[in-house]
Amino acid sequence: MTPLLQVENLSIVYEPKGDEPFRAVRNVTFSLEKGEFVGLVGESGSGKSTLGFALTRLLKHPARIEEGRILFRGQDISQIEGEELRRQRHGGFAQVLQSGMNALNPVRKIGNHFYDIFAAHGHIPPDQREARAKELVGKVRLPESVLNRFPSELSGGMRQRVSIALALSLEPELMVFDEPTTALDVLVQHAVMETIKALQESEGFTAILVSHDLGIVLESTQRVMVMHEGEIVEDGTSSQILGKPKDPYTQMLLSHYADPRAEVVELPGLTVRGGSKTVAHAPAAEVAGRIPAALDGVLEGAHDSFVVQGISKVYPPPRRGEKPVTAVDDVSFRIDPGESVALVGQSGSGKSTIAKLITGVEKPTSGTIMFGDVDVAKLGRRGLKDLRRQVQMVFQDPYSALNPLHTIEYILSRPIVNFTGAKGDDVRKRVHELLELVELTPADDYAGRMAHQVSGGQRQRVVIARALACNPQVLIADEPVSMLDVSLRAGVLALLEDLRVRLGVSLLYITHDLLSARLVTDRIMVLHDGKVVEAGDTVQVLRFPEDPYTIKLLDSIPQPAKAHARSAAAAAGAAARA
Amino acid sequence: MSAQTALESTIVPTPPEETLRRRRSGFVTSFLTVWSSPKARVGIVLLGFFILVAILAPLIAPYGPTQNDFARNESGGAEHWFGTTAAGEDVFSQVVFGTRVSLTVALIAGALSTLIAVVVGLSWGYSKGILSEIINFIVNLFLVIPGLPLMIVIAAYIQNGGLAMIIGVVVITGWAWGARVLHSQSKSLRARDFVTAAQFSGDSAPRIIFREILPNMTSIVVGSFVGAATAAIIAEASLSFLGIGDTTRVSWGSMLFWAQNSSALLTGQWLLLLMPGLSIALLALAFTLVNFGIDGLSNPRLREGTGR
Repeated sequence: MTPLLQVENLSIVYEPKGDEPFRAVRNVTFSLEKGEFVGLVGESGSGKSTLGFALTRLLKHPARIEEGRILFRGQDISQIEGEELRRQRHGGFAQVLQSGMNALNPVRKIGNHFYDIFAAHGHIPPDQREARAKELVGKVRLPESVLNRFPSELSGGMRQRVSIALALSLEPELMVFDEPTTALDVLVQHAVMETIKALQESEGFTAILVSHDLGIVLESTQRVMVMHEGEIVEDGTSSQILGKPKDPYTQMLLSHYADPRAEVVELPGLTVRGGSKTVAHAPAAEVAGRIPAALDGVLEGAHDSFVVQGISKVYPPPRRGEKPVTAVDDVSFRIDPGESVALVGQSGSGKSTIAKLITGVEKPTSGTIMFGDVDVAKLGRRGLKDLRRQVQMVFQDPYSALNPLHTIEYILSRPIVNFTGAKGDDVRKRVHELLELVELTPADDYAGRMAHQVSGGQRQRVVIARALACNPQVLIADEPVSMLDVSLRAGVLALLEDLRVRLGVSLLYITHDLLSARLVTDRIMVLHDGKVVEAGDTVQVLRFPEDPYTIKLLDSIPQPAKAHARSAAAAAGAAARA
Repeated sequence: MSAQTALESTIVPTPPEETLRRRRSGFVTSFLTVWSSPKARVGIVLLGFFILVAILAPLIAPYGPTQNDFARNESGGAEHWFGTTAAGEDVFSQVVFGTRVSLTVALIAGALSTLIAVVVGLSWGYSKGILSEIINFIVNLFLVIPGLPLMIVIAAYIQNGGLAMIIGVVVITGWAWGARVLHSQSKSLRARDFVTAAQFSGDSAPRIIFREILPNMTSIVVGSFVGAATAAIIAEASLSFLGIGDTTRVSWGSMLFWAQNSSALLTGQWLLLLMPGLSIALLALAFTLVNFGIDGLSNPRLREGTGR
């Protein structure tokens, strides 16, 4: 029997006008059997999405299939166009996009989206359309009533389910899921992934899951292809990849996964054991010696604590007639000098609002926030500037946190000039110290670059350097690594942790990622609907969680090892019975 | 750690010399982007033609613009290409010299109203609360008042104005639209993290507005300048045609005014109306076509020949 899909020697090239052509996919060859569920994993820029788009022929100019064939049911689809291609989409191939939830027309009801497709392909008689649409939304576990709703009335997860149902409406044999859950919240992500898995089993279509997250892929698929710089570097069954990955790149990716519940959590460069925490990167004994001499005198470390008592933040109702939104509800905590505290929760739990409140960007509705003997909520413009000298922020998105039109030197010099009053050569010297501090060497080279001339991980280092420029006492880090590729995360986290310990600053680490919280914090607060549901020692809370919400968060983390142990055990059990 | 540093360093190893070169060629790159649009290319050539005519007017025009010792109401011929006016002036020479007025008004009025639009639009986009409401009210006020009647009222009020008066009137009535466009753009840039980061770095509001936000909207500012210049050409022509301002100054608008006064169409002297009218239309067209290219600069999706 011929395989459902055969890709032979496929190369895809981007040819932007007036720029060098760039080959995103190089000589890729693989084949898929009917009914397989295959993962396609790679970091940003690996060409995985380009390949996914090519398979469903959704590539847009300036991308072009340079050479090679895509045989789908024995027919080469790599060059077909127009009507022939359109007919292939019925019963052929379909794709669910990462932003599929935003692909719905906001002024049309969900039902109409289905009827449009049925009408375009004419495979469902008009009188059965409604019944078929109901059946489809049922398959993705949505109530029938969504057909009468507008896209804006549904949550992100529901909309992504609708777009999966839409892709299913043409009964495709091959489905490509391009990062179907990346834009969703952690808990929702988990649920949508479960639905996709169940659907694949019940419907029996062949599926490709394109994702940057090896954990999710290993947990749900039977076979994994790892892409790196346009080539498939490894292709094997999930348990093979998990057990004995052959390619060094796959090994490197795998080494960045760990279970936050384990006794020892280890990432390249970072190790955290049961109770005490050590940073392999910079053992405590070396710490003192590594501080650049010039910084030594200036550094005092943190000496004031943040004391937050019973703060609440209520936003006015989003629409008339609705209730006001309570983003933060009676939260109290303190951050002592030099302490590292994690604030975790899913999106909408109020964690970013707390960051805005304690940095004075917004005022609490009630409660007090004291930093040393300063009441943050009562600060005026002048007072805020003084506070920012002590409290600095590390931003989430390194691409938007640096102005693309300034050099790194200019960006780093601003806080130095504004807060320390240094001038001329002193500023320059300090900029270079900061660059060396965040391991961007040679500093001379990096200082003159524009933000867009360094990579994502390096950008985040610049953001950290800027936050440290005025010797603050407290750093607020809002998801500092969530936008970075997995392989870069550990490096940035290790740097953050190392600097925190060496410079003695306090850290409030805001995240939804429990693994990173385990690695860099001493204490943790779990936030749910604006309330702290569990708080305590990080290791204690993550290893022995008590609140059901904390347990739910922990369970939603993909754990490939566990999933495969389970399926292996089931297989062994079946074999023993037989 | 080693794998990660290796990955990072492979991405953009740009030597500093190249950085400098790239920064210097920023203007060239932008020009090439605009030039790559066929419409803009036509516009640039057309605009260049008018600028040349304006600069070389004394060399191109066979006579002075106000020299009136020729036979009156002559039709076009070898001696006077476009004929002569009722006052006995050479129409071709007038059209050539009229280019100077139109271009001067376009450039100065365009620049001044863009300047006001930038200052108002950016401060408006950056400010919050009551100040933003007040600016909003003022801008809306200028937007809802019909332009031409307002110009006429202001021009009549100032009375004895020359070119400066026309420019002033055009600026007063023309800045509001640009301010609104720049406002919405600066508002969206204001929400970007690098603006918050600048606040955390202790930068003052004016510095954030002009050093962080403004450089990110250069293309929109240029586009707004070109738009304002186009509007200024048409406004100047309209005012002059209505006989407001100095009707003895030779401009395309005042030529139309005198041609209309002397019933040029009835006497069969259609060139008297056509030539200045065509010039106004072509110069405005040139600016509009250039703006198509500038659109591509600010929004790559609008670049021609790229999207499908």
